[in-house]
Order: sequence, then structure tokens, then C-alpha cells
Amino acid sequence: MERGTTPQLKQLVEEEQKPIPDITLRQLKHSDVEDLMKWKSDDRVMRFTTRQVCTTKDEALDFTERFIMPHPWFRAICIEDRPVGSLAIGPAPGDEKHRAWIGYSLAYDYWGRGIATAAVKKAVAIIFKEWPHLERIEAVADVENRRSQRVLEKAGFQREAVLRKFIVIKDKVRDVVMYSFLSTDPLVE
Amino acid sequence: MTWASDPRVTRFQRRGPYATASDALRYITEHILPHPWYRAICVDNGCPVGSISVNPAPDDRCRASVGYRLAYNCWGRGIATAALREAAARVFEEWPHLKRLEAVADVENPASQRVLEKAGFQREGVLRKYIMLKGERRDMVMFSLLATDPRT
Repeated sequence: MERGTTPQLKQLVEEEQKPIPDITLRQLKHSDVEDLMKWKSDDRVMRFTTRQVCTTKDEALDFTERFIMPHPWFRAICIEDRPVGSLAIGPAPGDEKHRAWIGYSLAYDYWGRGIATAAVKKAVAIIFKEWPHLERIEAVADVENRRSQRVLEKAGFQREAVLRKFIVIKDKVRDVVMYSFLSTDPLVE
Repeated sequence: MTWASDPRVTRFQRRGPYATASDALRYITEHILPHPWYRAICVDNGCPVGSISVNPAPDDRCRASVGYRLAYNCWGRGIATAALREAAARVFEEWPHLKRLEAVADVENPASQRVLEKAGFQREGVLRKYIMLKGERRDMVMFSLLATDPRT
């Protein structure tokens, strides 16, 4: 989203009333690269992520090989089996084996329909079953990324703190909001 | 060994107290010597009474975390606070890419929280089940000091 068009709460709430399409999570295939490009090449989608934009199909294929394929838990967010976004869960760096982080991206045309929220809810339920040692999933959202903060809140994450100058996004050091979901927190339907 | 063998000091640390000098020696060889930034805290006659260490974040050069430990008989004298202030000033100078120094203190460790506040760190919030301490997942208070924050 461009600056100055940050959605008002009213707009977000209106969007949240619309029915959510059925979404599935599955492994990404090499043949999905065209669909992957739809959001990986879009500045509006990549604006608040730490990942680089992919401007060519080769870059997307390279990203698929180097990052996606070996990743411990990377899923395409699909509608009718077509990827419209992605979601990844990774173990926290360092010794804290009980922790993992979650990150996600969604093609711009699919924003505002509850899809990312539905994907996060599904992923949280799955990962606590698949990784029984996991006790805390955390996510950070840029302080200006109100949409992503709403996704996490609706998916049942608890807002914990604003961490100042926490990460570098597109060469700028940014403040982020930290959220967490514990294995003991209630799952949201 | 003075502080590393004392359970009052290691209560809020990941590892337990050392029983023997050879345990401590192994720790020095395997952990302290190769560490990116590890300093002894010394007072008056130059005798170490504790230590302070700064760990760069593995995935983001803009931040690092600081930890410290002090012999029990030196608590309550502002030593840890002074050590933190000094360490912060030095690492911000030595690592110009560093923008954020962070520290976590157990929610049940108000003494350490006070040290961080007096050293000019800003309390940011409680991170639930953040750190594993002796097999238990603990809630921690997160603090930060930015390179741009006024120094106390």
C-alpha cells in the first residue's frame, strides 16, 4: 500500500465482513513459479518484508531452489489449488527450540478478503500438532503495517510490545510490533 | 568461579552453577574466548567481580543483545548499571552498524529490570515463554537502548 492510503479501521472492518473463500495450504512446486511471481515481484506486497523482490522468472526460480525447497515449513496459500500467496514457519535462530516465527505474503488482488487470516489460523493449528516441542509462535509486523497487525490479531495472536529499530527492511531500520501465539492459547475458528 | 559457582547468581541464567574449576575453565575455552564481545567487570584493584557480554543477532546486524552477571557480594552498589552503560557506549562505537542493544530480564527478576532502567534502557513489553531457563519456558521483559537514545 502506498503511504497516505493506510486503511482506516472502518474500511478494514467492512472488508472483514465479506465471506472468505476456501483456502488450502500445500507445498510449492516448481511449476508454480508464474503464480509466485505475481506477489514476489510486487512492491506493494514486498514492501514490509525482509525478502528481496523477484523481478525475473530466473530470480523466482533461484529463490524457490535456495530458500523455499530446503525450508522447514513453507506452504503456498491456494484458492482452488492456485497459489495466491505463501506462508512460512521457521525455528527461531539460536538455542530457543520451543520458539518459531511465522511470515506470510499475499498477492495484492487478494487483500481485504480474510485470506491471510484464514491461512495463518490453519497454519497455527497444523504446526502445533506437527512440532510438539513448539510452545511459542511469534510474528513481527512493521509499525506502519496495520493490515498485517489485523491479520495476526484476528488469528488470535497476542500483541506484546513495540520493538524499536528491530529489523532492517529495504535498507531502513524499522520499529516492529511483536505478536505471539502460545501452544496454550485458544485456537480461533 | 566466585560468581559462576553461586546459585544466587545463576538463578536467572540458562546454565547452572559450576561445581569445579575445570568446568569453569572449559567454559572459558569453549565459550568466552571465541565470543564476539565478552568482558570482565573489574572494580578497584582490577579483580573480576562479574562479566558482561554482547551477542550480535544472527540474522540482523542492526541489533545485539547484552547479558551480565555479578558476584553476589557486589550486588546493590550500582556496579552492573555502570558496567552496562560503559559496555553500551563501547559497542555502539565499535560497531557503527549497531542501532539497537536489547536485553531481557525474567519477569521475576526485578533487580535486573531496575539495573536496565537505571542504565537508560527502555522497557518495551513482556514476551511470553520467550527464553528457556533450566528447562522451563519463562516470560521475559524486553528492554532496549538505541544508538540514538540519550545516555544517562
